[in-house]
Amino acid sequence: MNDEIFLNEQITVIAVFGKGLNPCRPMKFRRTNGREINITEIGLRHPSAQGKRMIHIFDVTDGSADYRIELDAERLTWRLTREADHGI
Amino acid sequence: MEYNTEKPLIMHVDLNSAFATIEQQSRPLLRGKPVAVVNRRVKNTSIITASYEAKALGVKVGMKFIEAVRLAPGLIAVESDPAKYRYVYRKLMSILNSYSPNVVMKSIDEGIIDFHNIPNLRPLVDIGHEIKKRLRDEVGCAMRCNVGIGPNRFLAKTAAGLHKPDGLDIIDATNLRAVYETMRLTDLTGIASHLERRLNAVNIFTPIQFLDTDVVSLQKVVFKSIVGRQWYERLRGYEVDDRTSDTKTIGRQYVLENRNLTRFEIAARLHHLCESVGYRLRSQDKVARGVYIHVRTIDRQYWHACKMCQMPFYSDKTINLIAQQLFLNAPDRIQEIGIRCYEISDDNNPQMSLFSDSIECDQQLISAIDFINQRFGDRTVHSADTLNLSEFMKQKISFGSTRYL
Repeated sequence: MNDEIFLNEQITVIAVFGKGLNPCRPMKFRRTNGREINITEIGLRHPSAQGKRMIHIFDVTDGSADYRIELDAERLTWRLTREADHGI
Repeated sequence: MEYNTEKPLIMHVDLNSAFATIEQQSRPLLRGKPVAVVNRRVKNTSIITASYEAKALGVKVGMKFIEAVRLAPGLIAVESDPAKYRYVYRKLMSILNSYSPNVVMKSIDEGIIDFHNIPNLRPLVDIGHEIKKRLRDEVGCAMRCNVGIGPNRFLAKTAAGLHKPDGLDIIDATNLRAVYETMRLTDLTGIASHLERRLNAVNIFTPIQFLDTDVVSLQKVVFKSIVGRQWYERLRGYEVDDRTSDTKTIGRQYVLENRNLTRFEIAARLHHLCESVGYRLRSQDKVARGVYIHVRTIDRQYWHACKMCQMPFYSDKTINLIAQQLFLNAPDRIQEIGIRCYEISDDNNPQMSLFSDSIECDQQLISAIDFINQRFGDRTVHSADTLNLSEFMKQKISFGSTRYL
């Protein structure tokens, strides 16, 4: 079955805000346990409206696990909400 | 009637194994692996989309996940994520809309562009390749789509299905016959097993025989209606499918998460469905006059009941009241419940009633609740007996309609 783990962890993120089709690119994040994850690819970024509040969802990978990190555009906070390693 | 020799100006764009491809796009480690998208994270769930890697191992849409794993050990099940699919749908729609004002999205993963009356038109093959490239650039590098070009919607869709995945084909009067020669009857869009049996009964076993049958036989003998003439024209490349249909029913169904639920618990789930259907009804500015509920039991028995009212309604309370009355007569051992509102019409200031004061109060209350739910998120305000049901009863996306996307 799906090996995703559902989380709700506040994280610290380094992101680059540039231009083009994907103006916001998270590069790296640090988890509460101190572990740092270097993002090697952003799979998909999609917005998700929770009422009038906009959450930007980034599905990313560091090459050994897939992660979902979410930017709350109202509060400007980042959270790690999913992790999956597919048995690698 | 000759084949339609008009220049092919209809383009059909179809995402390949849409949900599975989107999952592989968003989660790079899933790429190249057999993936099945399911609606629930349980072993006896059904597969709603399989990736090409899974299909190559024999996994089919509709198969139980537990059976599919036997065919494809290592099959990864991923729960469907409607928000993600809606985003890709909107991206696809925006790409298609940039080529023509005449775009129709047939479902969440396919759209049709009509290039008639477009000035300075580039070759459609170039546009098709450009759409593929833009999909990869604007959504992601793993995204692929089939493009089909034809003189009508039917042939454009048929062309899109010729070389999956990532194909681009044209069907016109010159190669139409050659394409039909390579196909079976059930490969034709709209011909499923029951129509195949009907055609077989009059000695039509191949698309070529279907094409060569005269219009009178199709209309009078095979289909016994205007549908016969439509098939005659459709197969020859003439447009007969350019029509939109009105909303006739609005509904939702739910397979119970547990077979041991009490009647009271099932009634609460029915109430949840009523709230969902009521919201959909109002979001389309419609009112209904009838409620239809159905139940499928564990023994695969189908039970249904319906009620028509004189006055139109759109409130969750009224829909639920009627549905719960009907549900009292439903059988036990329920596996699936569903509700539909029918006799749908536009909400254009219905005639005043003797009870207009209470109706006015209801309207204001409903408007206030809908406003709060739009402002703070779905189901911020809902009835108390449906509390915590959202955990099980998540909104899923149907393939057929783009009405609520």
